Amino acid sequence: MFAAPTLNLWVITPLIILTVWAIILMFIDLFIPAGKKQWTGWLTLVGLIPALALTLMQWGQTGGAFIAEGGQPMVVVDNFATFLNTLYLLTGILAVFISVSYIRDAGLERGEYYFLMLFSIVGMMLMGMANDLILIFLALELLSIPLYILSGFDTGSDTSEESALKYFLLGAFSSAFFLFGIALTYGATGTTSLPVILDTISLDDPLALAALGMLLVGFAFKVGAVPFHMWTPDVYEGAPTSVVAFMSIGAKVAGFAALMRVLGQGFPMWGELWQPAIVVISALTMIVGNFAAVRQQNIKRMLAYSGIANAGYILIGVAASATDPEAISASLYYMLAYLFTNIGAFAVVIAVEKLDGQKGLLVEDYKGLAKRHLLLSLALAYFMFSLVGIPLTGGFTAKFYVFGAGVTAGLYWLVVIGAITSVVSAFYYLRPVLYAFMYEGPAVARVSRGLMFVLVVAVFATLVFGIFPGPWYELASQATFGNVATFVAGG
Amino acid sequence: MTSQQVIFIILAVITLASGLVVVTNRNLFHAALAMMLSFFGVAGFYVLLEAPFLAASQLLVYIGAISILIIFAIMMTRRLMSTDESPFNSQWIAALFGTLLIGGLIIFVIVSVFSPFGDIIIANSAPPSLAVQESTVLLGRSFVDPDQYVIPFEIASVLLLGALVGSIAIARPEKES
Amino acid sequence: MTLGQIALRALIAGFIMSLVVITGFAYTTLLERRLLARLQARIGPNRAGYIPLPRKGKRERRLLGGIMQPAADAVKLFFKEDATPAMVDRVVYNLAPMLTVIPAILILAVIPWAGPILGYEEYFAIAPGIDVGILFILAITSIGVYGVVLAGWGSNSKYAILGGIRASAQMISYELSLALVILAPVMLAGSMNLNDIVVAQEGGWYVLFLPVAAIVFIIGVFAELQRAPFDLLEAEQELSSGYNVEYGGMRFGMFFMAEYMKMISFSAIAAVLFFGGYRGPFVDQFPALGLLYMFIKIVIGLIIMIWVRASLPRLRYDQLMGFGWKVLLPIAVLNFLITAVIIVLASEGIIAFPI
Repeated sequence: MFAAPTLNLWVITPLIILTVWAIILMFIDLFIPAGKKQWTGWLTLVGLIPALALTLMQWGQTGGAFIAEGGQPMVVVDNFATFLNTLYLLTGILAVFISVSYIRDAGLERGEYYFLMLFSIVGMMLMGMANDLILIFLALELLSIPLYILSGFDTGSDTSEESALKYFLLGAFSSAFFLFGIALTYGATGTTSLPVILDTISLDDPLALAALGMLLVGFAFKVGAVPFHMWTPDVYEGAPTSVVAFMSIGAKVAGFAALMRVLGQGFPMWGELWQPAIVVISALTMIVGNFAAVRQQNIKRMLAYSGIANAGYILIGVAASATDPEAISASLYYMLAYLFTNIGAFAVVIAVEKLDGQKGLLVEDYKGLAKRHLLLSLALAYFMFSLVGIPLTGGFTAKFYVFGAGVTAGLYWLVVIGAITSVVSAFYYLRPVLYAFMYEGPAVARVSRGLMFVLVVAVFATLVFGIFPGPWYELASQATFGNVATFVAGG
Repeated sequence: MTSQQVIFIILAVITLASGLVVVTNRNLFHAALAMMLSFFGVAGFYVLLEAPFLAASQLLVYIGAISILIIFAIMMTRRLMSTDESPFNSQWIAALFGTLLIGGLIIFVIVSVFSPFGDIIIANSAPPSLAVQESTVLLGRSFVDPDQYVIPFEIASVLLLGALVGSIAIARPEKES
Repeated sequence: MTLGQIALRALIAGFIMSLVVITGFAYTTLLERRLLARLQARIGPNRAGYIPLPRKGKRERRLLGGIMQPAADAVKLFFKEDATPAMVDRVVYNLAPMLTVIPAILILAVIPWAGPILGYEEYFAIAPGIDVGILFILAITSIGVYGVVLAGWGSNSKYAILGGIRASAQMISYELSLALVILAPVMLAGSMNLNDIVVAQEGGWYVLFLPVAAIVFIIGVFAELQRAPFDLLEAEQELSSGYNVEYGGMRFGMFFMAEYMKMISFSAIAAVLFFGGYRGPFVDQFPALGLLYMFIKIVIGLIIMIWVRASLPRLRYDQLMGFGWKVLLPIAVLNFLITAVIIVLASEGIIAFPI
């Protein structure tokens, strides 16, 4: 009845592990009593760590699975995908450590939190691995829908529900753009497979041009780039902080992953066409993100605008890759460094946040933190320095590489904007640090063991990236798209 | 004009007219019903394109589930017989501008690619007789064939599972411990 | 045949079959009233019309008393004042009865009534050759919910809207289980075409292979039809009469008609899916016998429905929803899974199973 299928399941083994473990965990969770749901959280790691190990084993390999029409695989694993998958899995593991105590203290402790997180990670990983527009769309939804729900996980809180609703509506809106772009691409080329699109698309086809525009709008929404960034501050402010820490990295990196894959593999020869668009978006994103962040009093909103601004910096590398495909590695390295700095910053926010009614989230609430929690305040200062881009931090080296890629590509004025806005960013990043060290105040913090672990890892990683960036950048520069020709033979 | 063209025009008029009613009607409930009619017109297009499975799915999913969901939402949240919903809010000018922009884009694209579009369709699709004869079987097979769409199909199932778990997690009443 | 001829033939056949079923609806009401009366040790309507058999010396014997009762009812409904309440949403109020009746009639389109008779090549149905007949039935059934919802909303009445919400929630909940169990015969026959399913039952009725599916299907049908014991929306004590409380005259008659026509069509569907459809002894030699077999099977189905109504008490609303979601749906899903696994194992020759 069935022909012997030509499966290459090795490619998606980490995804299978995560999905199956999420489903098994659902059943295990039924038997975990209500007060002990942290076990579901720790058990999540049983899926994440093997998946991470397997992903690391996939480094250096190139392969595809599920050969579709046109002889191209639907899912590919190459160093680009493996590099990003490692990022998501690290984010996931750190997010579990952050979440366990946070959601218990916030009274949100329910097992669904963790399965939804696992599902979302599967979606994120697929974003970088998908070689087909249909699959990218499904991955986008798979990563987004659990996040919509996690944003509204605090069902008792109006702001949380508002954030979920806003995220959902705007996310659905952007998905519609993306889907429309896919439809137009299909109309122009008769295929959704990225390598086949590359072969069949013609440069003077207005349909394809419109398609590319729609796809860009969809991605810009997901990564939170101006002018499609409006949802970010409201969502970040309302959603549970542990969720924000997770999605501010995972969803953003995943959006970039698919953006890079589509631009780099589907439309690379259109570089001179999409480069100006990306340059403009990047410049606007840096300017709007940084200047809007200056006015924020709420630290979660401030970090939201900071996330927008950082999307702008990552976009410099994407823009540069139009002329030089190697420039993508600068953006990849930026995301690696940003992961640890950002999750560290959120860990500090969680430590200071008081869970009875959204208190402790204003910048003023950091007054006098250093008096009682010197190490925590030092960690805060270090992460903020890293976000500004002060030397000896991961943030500095990341900006260095991205700006370097921009200069190499001849995008001088974009780099100038980047440098100026970085200076502006110092103003708002350093404010909580200033309050913590220079002012008297009642700020207190609770650092649970999981949070402590995350803080130590984040500080250590940011330090390593700041002092020895070379080997890590070397890894990022190996993380290029797999050679299309090998898929046809190797699938 | 062939009979198919006549049916096409009737369906197009139904779909577009009810679409217009959706955005202009002041009575939200009537607008939801008009949307259902619009979905019905789309199902008609699928029948015309000899894709019976898609047509039935369109009825089942869009009319049987999504529209009902919308109507339920209206029934639960609005006062009975309220007819004072304004289809305009403060951003209607911007919305109109955006709509015209996208509409213009689509029209421009269709007009400028009209002739090559036809060629592409012919070049890329299988002989219609085979496709029409067995369309449902082909569709079903392609969903479970590892060499076609099994992975999107499976991902879609995972997606639905996630959405199911999530909707239950949100809808479940808060339990005080 | 050209397209025009096919359309014309479908139109004629559809018209005739609709008339037959409408007559059938009328007599189903009579059957229900008489049978219910018998089950409750009453006599039931026996006055309107009869066939007189004169007997010598005694009073004439009255055969089939009450045979004209449906006609009398229809006349009553037609001549009743058709009052429209003042504050209703007129469009919706008038649309609701139509949207209830239209799906009830549309379902008839795909049901195979007999084998190749009257010049039909493969089988006799109003619209033969719809390969997705099952899906069509499910789709049309789901449209049936609109009639209830619109009647509830359009009537501008608390009782009506409560009845409407109850009824539609019930229909949507049970539709899921119904759709899932319908997949079992589809998988066994390997086709969504209803005639293929009937033909595939040559070796034995599917009720023998899929008893669980058949039982769940029948329960689901009761809920879908909102008949006892699931007739919550008509809970007179609580809701006066549910979504159609504000309707009178022929508009009410249309709701009534739709309910009984759906009874007939669901009996037919049950017969097709699980009880061999139009197949029976000698049907290969005389295809026209199929009509008779279908008729018998439908009548038996109707009698069972009436019997259940007379026997079982009504469920409470939370019991109803709980039963649908927590009992019926898991059973339907498991049934689907197990059937699929067995079919694959059998087709691979790992286990012996007569398919």
